[in-house]
Amino acid sequence: MNGWLAFQGDLIEQMPLILAGLMQTLTLTVIVSISGLLLGIAVFYGSLSHNTLLSRFIRGYTAFFIGMPLIVLLFLMYYGLPQWGVKLSPFSVAIIGFTLNVAAYNSAYLTSAYNGLDHAELEAARAQGFSSQQIFKLITLPQVLRLSVPALTNQVIGNLKDSSVAFLIQYTEFFARAQELAATNFQFFKAYMLAALVYLALVSLIVLAARWLERRYAIVGFN
Amino acid sequence: MALIEVRKLVKKFGEQTVLNGINLDVSEGDMKVVMGPSGCGKSTLLRCLNRLEDSTSGSIYFRGEEITRPDVDVRALRQHIGFVFQQFALYRHLNVLDNVTLGLIKLKGMSRAEAKRKALFELARLDMLSSADKFPGQLSGGQKQRVALARALAMDPAVVLFDEPTSALDPVMSREVAELMNRLHQEKVTMLCVTHDLQLARQISDKVVFLDKGVVCAEDSIDQLSRHHPDQKIRAFFGQESNS
Repeated sequence: MNGWLAFQGDLIEQMPLILAGLMQTLTLTVIVSISGLLLGIAVFYGSLSHNTLLSRFIRGYTAFFIGMPLIVLLFLMYYGLPQWGVKLSPFSVAIIGFTLNVAAYNSAYLTSAYNGLDHAELEAARAQGFSSQQIFKLITLPQVLRLSVPALTNQVIGNLKDSSVAFLIQYTEFFARAQELAATNFQFFKAYMLAALVYLALVSLIVLAARWLERRYAIVGFN
Repeated sequence: MALIEVRKLVKKFGEQTVLNGINLDVSEGDMKVVMGPSGCGKSTLLRCLNRLEDSTSGSIYFRGEEITRPDVDVRALRQHIGFVFQQFALYRHLNVLDNVTLGLIKLKGMSRAEAKRKALFELARLDMLSSADKFPGQLSGGQKQRVALARALAMDPAVVLFDEPTSALDPVMSREVAELMNRLHQEKVTMLCVTHDLQLARQISDKVVFLDKGVVCAEDSIDQLSRHHPDQKIRAFFGQESNS
């Protein structure tokens, strides 16, 4: 009983820091979800190019960032780059590192959806007189985004959960604050269970939003 | 002067010669049908006409202008040549109305209201007005083909090219499409249709162009070709298919 009271006392005392950490987590998740999607779209667009050099570069980019563990990429940027005279803040490293990683995954999801498109539609658009850019903007992108909603929203969930890795590069997000709470009173189970419940609640909200998006943007009659 | 003149058109894919010196004229108001066995180059010919494929040699003239030149504005050209595909190729994320208005707004620069008026007119013309809010996934094959045609006609093309318009349709729907094409022919819409559906050819045109191994072998009525053509292969093609 005393343990619970002590934990609650510490929790209340550290609540401002925990909330600040939660804000940091949400900020990182929102920013990298948006930047990762935008860069992912750009990478996907590049992958459709007939330019051999560009498409090879894109393939290399995707293979490199999907193949490299996120933690290695973050360590490389945070601890490795200063040896080359490039010193970035934890926030910058987290944003850049996550964006590069997430964009590679997102472009792969979009490519997968693109492979499932009816390419006769793209040809019909070409035959009608649309330019390649117009076809991408008006036909390809709206369809691949709709078909990729489940994969893209899963990625947002992944971004939220993976954001906890950022505390290893001194980015004091929610999990770092939960660690501090645990270290204060050695109530590890309670502190980490609290963290788990918070992550679970946030993920549930994203799942609800994802289901709504799936229903809202489903392509009628698409099998 | 014919609307479209094809002269000595050759198209090769690598070592394979698909079109081997095609000569063909399509005049305004024509309803021309091109037939031939599978792989004879029918679809390739259509694709060359609106530059979905670039020809290897030879020339195509559209309203007297050579359109096989490399400096031709292909996108502008395509807006004058409607194309109706075998598998309809409707934009499935857009409803019927938006399928028709998209080209009018983005290519012809019409306002949304203007494009909607034009699209509704074309959909009414093809008896598809009641489906304006539906999505392609909610339509039958025949209805999809009508929408594809409305989309092509809305652009006010000089000619509409049909690539096997009934191959994905059942006989009832095929007959509907044939009736529709006849109606458009009476309205003086210029059409060029490639098909291997002899029934469709009989329903929409008195004369057909027979293509084989990349060359035009004959141009005559189906009855004439099936009974009196000196080439046994052509007689067999039309005779055999008309019995089936």
